Amino acid sequence: MEIFLQLLITGILVGSIYALVALGWTLIYKCSGVLNLAMGELTLIGAYVCLTFYHWGIPFILALLFTLVIGFVLGILTEILFLRPMVGEPVLSVIMVTVGLAFFFKGLVMLIWGTDTVVFTPWVFPMEPVFIGKIVVGQVYLWAFVASIILLIGFVTFFKYTKWGLSMQATADDEMAALSLGVNAKVVYALAWAIAFMAAGVGGTLLGNINGLNISVGYLGLLVLPAVVLGGLNSVPGAIVGGLVIGIIQNLADGYLSRFTPGGVKDVFPFAVMVIVLLFKPYGLWGWVRIERV
Amino acid sequence: MSYRPCGVYHQYYKQDHAWWQTKFVWGKMILLLFTVFYIIPQFAGMYLISIANVVGYTILSAIGVQLLIGYCGQVTLGHAAFLAMGAYTCTLLMLQLHIPYPIAMIMGGIVGGLWSVLFGLPSARVKGFYLIMTTMAAQFITVEFFITQYVSQIGGRGVAYSIPPGTVKIGPWMIKSDMDVYYVMVILVILCILVMANLLRSKVGRAWIAIRDNDIAAETMGVNIVFYKLLAFFVAGFFGGVAGAFWTSSLAAVSPEHFHFGWSLWLVGVILIGGVGSIHGIIYGAMFMTLIPEGLKFLIFVLTQNPFFVDLMPFLPLLLEKFLFVKEAAFGLAIVLFLIFEPNGISYRWWQIKNYFNLWPFSY
Repeated sequence: MEIFLQLLITGILVGSIYALVALGWTLIYKCSGVLNLAMGELTLIGAYVCLTFYHWGIPFILALLFTLVIGFVLGILTEILFLRPMVGEPVLSVIMVTVGLAFFFKGLVMLIWGTDTVVFTPWVFPMEPVFIGKIVVGQVYLWAFVASIILLIGFVTFFKYTKWGLSMQATADDEMAALSLGVNAKVVYALAWAIAFMAAGVGGTLLGNINGLNISVGYLGLLVLPAVVLGGLNSVPGAIVGGLVIGIIQNLADGYLSRFTPGGVKDVFPFAVMVIVLLFKPYGLWGWVRIERV
Repeated sequence: MSYRPCGVYHQYYKQDHAWWQTKFVWGKMILLLFTVFYIIPQFAGMYLISIANVVGYTILSAIGVQLLIGYCGQVTLGHAAFLAMGAYTCTLLMLQLHIPYPIAMIMGGIVGGLWSVLFGLPSARVKGFYLIMTTMAAQFITVEFFITQYVSQIGGRGVAYSIPPGTVKIGPWMIKSDMDVYYVMVILVILCILVMANLLRSKVGRAWIAIRDNDIAAETMGVNIVFYKLLAFFVAGFFGGVAGAFWTSSLAAVSPEHFHFGWSLWLVGVILIGGVGSIHGIIYGAMFMTLIPEGLKFLIFVLTQNPFFVDLMPFLPLLLEKFLFVKEAAFGLAIVLFLIFEPNGISYRWWQIKNYFNLWPFSY
């Protein structure tokens, strides 16, 4: 039972980071219909930018804020340069543009920062674990959880109560209607990418704090795909719940199934879950169900 | 597809469907075969031959991707998984059971095809993005988990299967040098392209194209969608398995590293740049994607040898050292730029150029 609780709590804490990145992904899909396969690389860029600032001696909170700013700028630039010419093109072409972007970003990251694992030195979060009852939790996880929750609340508030957030919701709901009511779709698309970049950057920074930072953090960013498929592609609550569930499932699989296999369950299990979800409930928990017989 | 020269008239459908329609094309093709079988092996150095092998491997691997994406409309982002299944089946059969290479290769193809059908099954229920996700999952489940953790343990060989020299042979002919691999490659590429082209002008190919263009209309016309989709997956997986099995002949050891996710994406990039829905596109794309980076590398290497250029551009040695990453970034950028500015790929551009000169100077 203790093991179960331990795994569950760790899963929730890590899952909150996935939820944050998944939120960014869902946002792009909702607003502009782009299925973004470059999410892993977005997390990488954010993480490395933050690391660079931190190693220049800037306090962590400030470095994180700068990362948000850079993410915002990069997001808008990416949208204008690469995605805007693709508006109205077939879905596959747009997906492949994001795949191309993934390669491009990954190559740039490796070119600039190298492939060795780097850690945030000095430690951002204290090393001593925290005890919740009998359950041991690293402080990194706890702070990552807190940061993700704060950002999640921030983003959700943004959608619900600000003008731009509402216009994004309107565009997601019905693009034509939104356009005819004077919503500027260009700004909305750019904003969606900017927010995705920001969310991914913070998620990447937090993941990098947990295990050190190298290219494999980009692989963790890919885990958002099972999360959004589980939650339903165009549902914000779905993305959050999906991220949490994927975090939990991953940790439980690691804890209970590892002894039956030579290893590697942790990396693959979310994808196996995704295939099962796709087979039986392809629209996820709260995605829009479009009746489409194949 | 291009215009015929003046004065050539067809009286029968058979003539109209012939591959080589005029004497000129016959001459061109015989010249091409002569080049491929005689001039290149005779006059190209070992380095060029090894590059040609990579081009051939890319063509073989991309045929299946082209079939699925370009002709059947089923996007696959996990094709390296099927290559891996073929390669591992072939190697295992050769090492454990001492089965001859050609039979092992065909078995590899069949296993690759069946594995591909397994992950193509969701295509009966989902399409578009959801199918992309499934094939991506195929990549991770197959290569990162199934092969790395289980298949690699068979025979206690560790993660990489080393292939002792002399294992790969066809009858008495040992395939050990790059030159032997080159001949195998050329024959396989010609065979696979023949099979593919013939499939595409038969009932099966027409069904695939109908599914790609409009699956609901295809179903109303009586095309059994699920069957033909799974058939497409099988054939594509078969080509993939053969490609993987072929590549074992030029490797010292097979390991999961050769079939990573990046290679799957690379193959999709090859057909996007070459041209989706065109057999020429596979060849042009493979050549572009292999020759351009090699040429670039050669250029940078030559430039670094000359102190003048190094003074002019001090980042050159670093660029050469990290060429792999430069290549990756350039590849990504190339895909994006092609999709934005030349979405029909090289083969379409080539077709346009050819027609321009066919009709030149009176293009109206």
